[in-house]
Amino acid sequence: MNPLESLRLSWRSIRGHKLRSALTTLGIVIGIAAVIAFVTLGASLQAGIIGDISPDDQRNVYGWAADPDTEGGPLAGAQPVFTQDDLEAVEGLEDVEAAYGYATIQTQAISNGNETVAQGNGLIASGPSYIREDRLSAGSQFEMGEREAVLNPAAANQFDENVTVGDELTVTILGGERTTLEVVGITDTSEGLSPFEGFESSPRVYVPTDPYYAEQASGLGIGGGEGGDGGSDGGDGSGESTGEGDGSGDDARFLAIIVEAESTDQSDIDAARESATAYLESDDSDASELLDDDLAVTFQTSTELLQQLQDILDLLRNFIVGIAAISLLVGSIGIANIMLVSVTERTREIGIMKAVGAQNRDVLGLFLTEAVILGVIGAILGTGLGLLAGYLGAQYIEIPLVYPLEYVALAVVVGVLVGILAGLYPAWRAARTDPIDALRYE
Amino acid sequence: MARETAVRLSNVRKTYRIGEPVHALDGVSLAVPQGSYTAIMGPSGSGKSTLMNLVGCLDTPTAGEVVVGGREVGALGDRERTRLRGTEVGFVFQTFNLMPRLRALENVALPQLFQGVDRTERRERARDLLERVGLGDRADHLPNELSGGQRQRVALARALVNDPAIVLADEPSGNLDTDTEADILDLFDEFHEGGTTMLVVTHERHVAERADRIVHLLDGRIERIEDLGGAADGATTDPTASRTSESGGDSE
Repeated sequence: MNPLESLRLSWRSIRGHKLRSALTTLGIVIGIAAVIAFVTLGASLQAGIIGDISPDDQRNVYGWAADPDTEGGPLAGAQPVFTQDDLEAVEGLEDVEAAYGYATIQTQAISNGNETVAQGNGLIASGPSYIREDRLSAGSQFEMGEREAVLNPAAANQFDENVTVGDELTVTILGGERTTLEVVGITDTSEGLSPFEGFESSPRVYVPTDPYYAEQASGLGIGGGEGGDGGSDGGDGSGESTGEGDGSGDDARFLAIIVEAESTDQSDIDAARESATAYLESDDSDASELLDDDLAVTFQTSTELLQQLQDILDLLRNFIVGIAAISLLVGSIGIANIMLVSVTERTREIGIMKAVGAQNRDVLGLFLTEAVILGVIGAILGTGLGLLAGYLGAQYIEIPLVYPLEYVALAVVVGVLVGILAGLYPAWRAARTDPIDALRYE
Repeated sequence: MARETAVRLSNVRKTYRIGEPVHALDGVSLAVPQGSYTAIMGPSGSGKSTLMNLVGCLDTPTAGEVVVGGREVGALGDRERTRLRGTEVGFVFQTFNLMPRLRALENVALPQLFQGVDRTERRERARDLLERVGLGDRADHLPNELSGGQRQRVALARALVNDPAIVLADEPSGNLDTDTEADILDLFDEFHEGGTTMLVVTHERHVAERADRIVHLLDGRIERIEDLGGAADGATTDPTASRTSESGGDSE
């Protein structure tokens, strides 16, 4: 019997049991849809993250001090240990182009003239070169020691009247104090500029650590008590002030610092990392006072940090694909079960076919074809559903959509395979049915 | 002119071992000449079904020879036996045994499907046979849309589709009322006259009387062979009885 005829006959019997066939297929659909949706989301997420690293970011190493055993992403377990003195000394090292602190200052709201919008993301305090010139769509970088800020488009456009370079904004810090800043530049992206920020699009205001972080940390200038400036970023270290013009007794200690190498060459990056680490661990640094066996300095490039993130994503994806694979397994058991029932139910038909000259391989072919058809239909529907779910998911979390086509192909192959494997035993049972018994079967 | 034999059984023995060995057939010899019409009668347990299974190439004898269409069934492998069954034997069952999801035409064409006959040719042949059993206008009906008599006609058409050496009918009118029974038996007669070899198993005398002769089975042996005068067909090891016949030919 030729394959086309098998197909025709099998299709007939699938249509003869519409509900049963549909339910059988459902198991495969769900399994394959889950696999495809999650690998699509995983691939999209990776593309979203990796696509955001600007090439000039590649020369940066991001440092923090934490227990070496701490697992996790950027800043996991970080403690504030780095003083402004440390940063200046690091910047003075031969292999280092620039070094500056990184901190977020928690805020409540931002006002532009009479209009106030809630702003919980805070101010991102860092050094001037944190925002590369080619990242600016308008204006310039802020300068250290000035009450200046650079906004990203999401922050600039959240007011009825878009903020432009030269505008003055009033920021309400968490705790109620107010401070002003002059907008000197607008960036070209609303996504994060470094792994410290995260990568999602949100309104961000970049300010110099001096005066904003220094003031907040020392409890001066912003006008509130020390308890008022919330959060983990509040410096509590002591040391000599280097902040220009603040003259405070308490110096801010930074949780996170960024060191720029002289070029994006791996050797330069390593050199910058090594000399910065060596200095910070030496007795010359303020940080070394606090460093011990349980607190060590870590410097990583954004690529390395992303690798960690990617490892986590991979783990998550593998986990979900594993769950989906179990669903596929359940689906295939469903097919096998249905096929067994079907073989029993159609014992008499098998007997008839054999009586009129059907060979074992004809019967085997018919039942196998049926199982494969169910598997293929399940795979096709599951692929469609999975791609749709991946699309909707990517839309929902606003990441660029990437379809991993090799997985889509794999899903279809798996569907066929599941059909064959699940159909093999029932089909074999059908094939070796004794026609005499089968014809007697009621 | 010696007639060829469609089916020949020589000292056939069939023993089932279900605990105690049971001799379902115990030394049966029978020749069924081409173009003959034989009825097999006997009480239940007499070996009718076993004989049917052997002649229908569904089973192999424990001892002795069963020759169908010139080939010894016991010597064939499963595949060859299946092939022989498909081409040389046509079954008509008491319960019709049509494929429920196939239309009348497709049911008739089914045996040729397994012989790899081209689809167009298959359908032509099936349509022709449906016409001949008087169901030309029912070709596209499903079995459950047909009456019992119509289903049995479809089954008969299916049995004939591969032009078999013999048509085996097992209680062909057992599920039919008297009128339809007469119709289907008339149809048997018609095809018999056209040269088809018929072997009918029945326990009803009036059905058996349509045949040329009646073979009475009892306890796995041939009790006696009743000649109904149509012809003196050989019933034992000697199949030489002659009858002027248009062997195998289509002489309507």
